[in-house]
Amino acid sequence: MTMKSLGAALVFAAAFVSTGAEAAQPGTPAATVIAIPPLTSPDTGTKGNEMLALAWQVTQLIDADLRQTAEVMPLTPNRNDYYSYPQVTAPTFSQWRAKGAKALVTGFVQSRSDGRLTVGCYVYDVEAGRELGRKGFVIVPADLRRAAHKCSGLAYQAITGSPGMFDTRIAYVAETGAPEARVKRIAMMDSDGYNHKYLTPGDTTVLTPRLSPHAARLAYVSFQGGTPQVRIMNLDNGEQRPLLPGDAMTFAPRYSPDGSKIVFSMMLGANSDIYVVGADGGPPQRLTTSPAIDTDPSFSPDGSKIVFESDRSGTQQLYTMDANGSNQRRITFTTAAYSAPEWSPDGKFIAFTWRMADTRRIGIMAPDGTGEKILTAGPRDEGPSWAASSREIVFQRTDPSGRPAIYRVSLDGSAARRMTIPQDGSDPNWSGTMD
Amino acid sequence: MKMHKVILLIAALVAVPASAQLPGLRRRSPPPPTVVQSPIEVLRADFAAQAGGTTVYFAPGSAQLTPQARVILQGQAAWLRQHPTVAVRVEGHGDPTDTRDHALALGAERAAEARDYLMLLGTPAAQVTTMTWGKERPGPPSAMTTIQELGGPPAVPAAG
Repeated sequence: MTMKSLGAALVFAAAFVSTGAEAAQPGTPAATVIAIPPLTSPDTGTKGNEMLALAWQVTQLIDADLRQTAEVMPLTPNRNDYYSYPQVTAPTFSQWRAKGAKALVTGFVQSRSDGRLTVGCYVYDVEAGRELGRKGFVIVPADLRRAAHKCSGLAYQAITGSPGMFDTRIAYVAETGAPEARVKRIAMMDSDGYNHKYLTPGDTTVLTPRLSPHAARLAYVSFQGGTPQVRIMNLDNGEQRPLLPGDAMTFAPRYSPDGSKIVFSMMLGANSDIYVVGADGGPPQRLTTSPAIDTDPSFSPDGSKIVFESDRSGTQQLYTMDANGSNQRRITFTTAAYSAPEWSPDGKFIAFTWRMADTRRIGIMAPDGTGEKILTAGPRDEGPSWAASSREIVFQRTDPSGRPAIYRVSLDGSAARRMTIPQDGSDPNWSGTMD
Repeated sequence: MKMHKVILLIAALVAVPASAQLPGLRRRSPPPPTVVQSPIEVLRADFAAQAGGTTVYFAPGSAQLTPQARVILQGQAAWLRQHPTVAVRVEGHGDPTDTRDHALALGAERAAEARDYLMLLGTPAAQVTTMTWGKERPGPPSAMTTIQELGGPPAVPAAG
């Protein structure tokens, strides 16, 4: 899709946060109240009514996006709060101050002679009466949802300083059929559940889809040849190839933050070690040599380090190393088992699966292993994957009958929420923001 | 000598009470009440009876062969010596409470341990292949789809 930026978003986040209590700081329970009066249109007549209808859709999408966050609380959009096109850039701040709003979103949808639409949105600090950012797009009508998600992201970033995760995708394994003969398909959807589609036909067991940073490629594990092997799918044209030639067992792939490399595990004989290879091929480079099971590697956001799990101490524990395999260092030391780590996009945390006896939970800690915090109750939670915002995690929760589902949990301590998908699901993976 | 493409299973499973698992050879579905046994079924039944079992068990989190596992593998190796044209596949299974990727690796380790022991006992490498199911095949193994017909194509699991 084409999404031309009409104006660069301003640098605003730091200034806004510094204005005081209205900004939701980590650990601050109060959410920032934001007003989202219905977007307007410069068009008139029949076309104007059409555009206003689309503008109302965008308004409701922004409301729904921001409502699912812990940091921003929208006032329910009211169709009576109509404003004119010139007021998009000159809002009546006092009106929104009176309603308790600290921030405001305005915008418009305009028709173009070529059949496309121009969507513009603007975010304001209501108390200071100051614009915080603006974004504009020229889109085909089918991309209206994504334009709305971009507006939501603009508002979210203006308030929290973190990238929004509204225009992102979630890949996972769709599961159907009896437990002893599960049919597993790679599925992908927008993070709000829309545009759900299946990427593999279900004739072969598949596991652990992992999206490239902007969701243009997908690495996953397939049992196609009998042995589990990593395959790469081009999401633009559906083309696929094995990550490596040969018949070695490869698994646990993850892209580097710049998308240029894939780090993964390879099983040679009875030994699983971690390797890295160019995303477009080339010879793999071995990073670990322990005779234990080393697996589930995940890059730090700057690409300089890798966190992974190893049972070299006798139980599964987390380790970090430099991206070339040097300076391997254990970071977890309790009697619990730690596995499936993923480094947060902002670099501040490592999410992991915590396991004690038969109980599995999702937790986070600082990259040096301090500040461990368990986020979910379990008892059968696993496989955390970060939202682009670094403030939310998607994971798999299996119910007592053995059926897995996809859940989201926020770092703010609120309860995990089940995502609506068409069937059972496992191994969720959250992409970065789409561009 | 033509190697019969017969896949017999020596499943490496997590530790469970042995009485709870009937270490029978895996088949696609329960057999119809009356049927003429095909050569592969005769072989399977003979293997199970003569080798002393098709399945060996491990302690949770471990890929180390137990003394009981070694006894069963010794029986399997003896049978394979007498049937040099039969190929077997060892399918390793991880622990169901493990996380996805460690379970895959542990299942592969268990299969490799069993295969290595068979080879130590003289079973030719060409007679044994391995694979792992990780935790993709929970519960009793009776419903697994892994045995193929004589001379058929390589067994590729249909789903899991």
